[in-house]
Amino acid sequence: MDVGNSLASSLAVALRTWLIPRRYGVMRWSYTLQRISGVAITLYFVAHIVETGNVVGGAHIWMVPAYQYARDVWTETVEFLANPLFDAGLTVIGFLVFFHTVNGLRLFLAHFGIILGKPHRPEYPYIPASMTRLQIALFWLSIALAVAALLYSVNIFFKVILP
Amino acid sequence: MLIHYITGIVILVAGGIHLWTVFLTAPVEENLRFDNTPFAVLNVYRNWILAGSLEILLLAVAFHGFNGLRVILLELHQGSAWTKAVNLVVSLVAVAVAVYGTRTILIAFQIT
Repeated sequence: MDVGNSLASSLAVALRTWLIPRRYGVMRWSYTLQRISGVAITLYFVAHIVETGNVVGGAHIWMVPAYQYARDVWTETVEFLANPLFDAGLTVIGFLVFFHTVNGLRLFLAHFGIILGKPHRPEYPYIPASMTRLQIALFWLSIALAVAALLYSVNIFFKVILP
Repeated sequence: MLIHYITGIVILVAGGIHLWTVFLTAPVEENLRFDNTPFAVLNVYRNWILAGSLEILLLAVAFHGFNGLRVILLELHQGSAWTKAVNLVVSLVAVAVAVYGTRTILIAFQIT
């Protein structure tokens, strides 16, 4: 039983609404960023499991391989991945992981009602009770830690900030 | 969704251990070596506490990541055929990734 919308029209609505977080305050940005970072990290995770599969010599290895063979495949993999493109990708993943972690902790606390405000009568300027100062502070903390992770990984991979 | 939150907290701990072993124990280049440095890849897999935490991290991320993807896809579009297809495909990919990663962990520590 389909509700009626075609997949294409659902997708069109989603792209118009989910991915444009303007005009709805900081929590809307956290929603969009949490989803984009989640999808990106999951894709990275799959690539990372494939990549670390080369520690034992690749996808066709299902028995313990010869030491020399596994070492050669792994060394080749590390050399292949050691270029500015992959390093830049990892710095972005570092940013997204730290944002997703801290913002996820905020969501965890909010979901269990710990940092949720008390309900009150709607009064001008109609700021939702759920948008407590602590929630907004935690959102900005997640951005701050993500930027710190970005700077740390830029320094690790490109050695431009500290020698 | 409770499992989503539980795996999230598990990832916080196991992922923290993973980032610590790779980035904070020695320069990254040393830890990416195949063998013969304290936290070289084979030595991480040979340490059963670190290898065990990697397996836990693998299973938790496989669930958390693909469940998150499932939630996004089910919010994107509604319908019982769509729901069944998304559930099936997402579960199969998650299991495949978990099996492949577990194979790496189970074989790597035996390489001599």
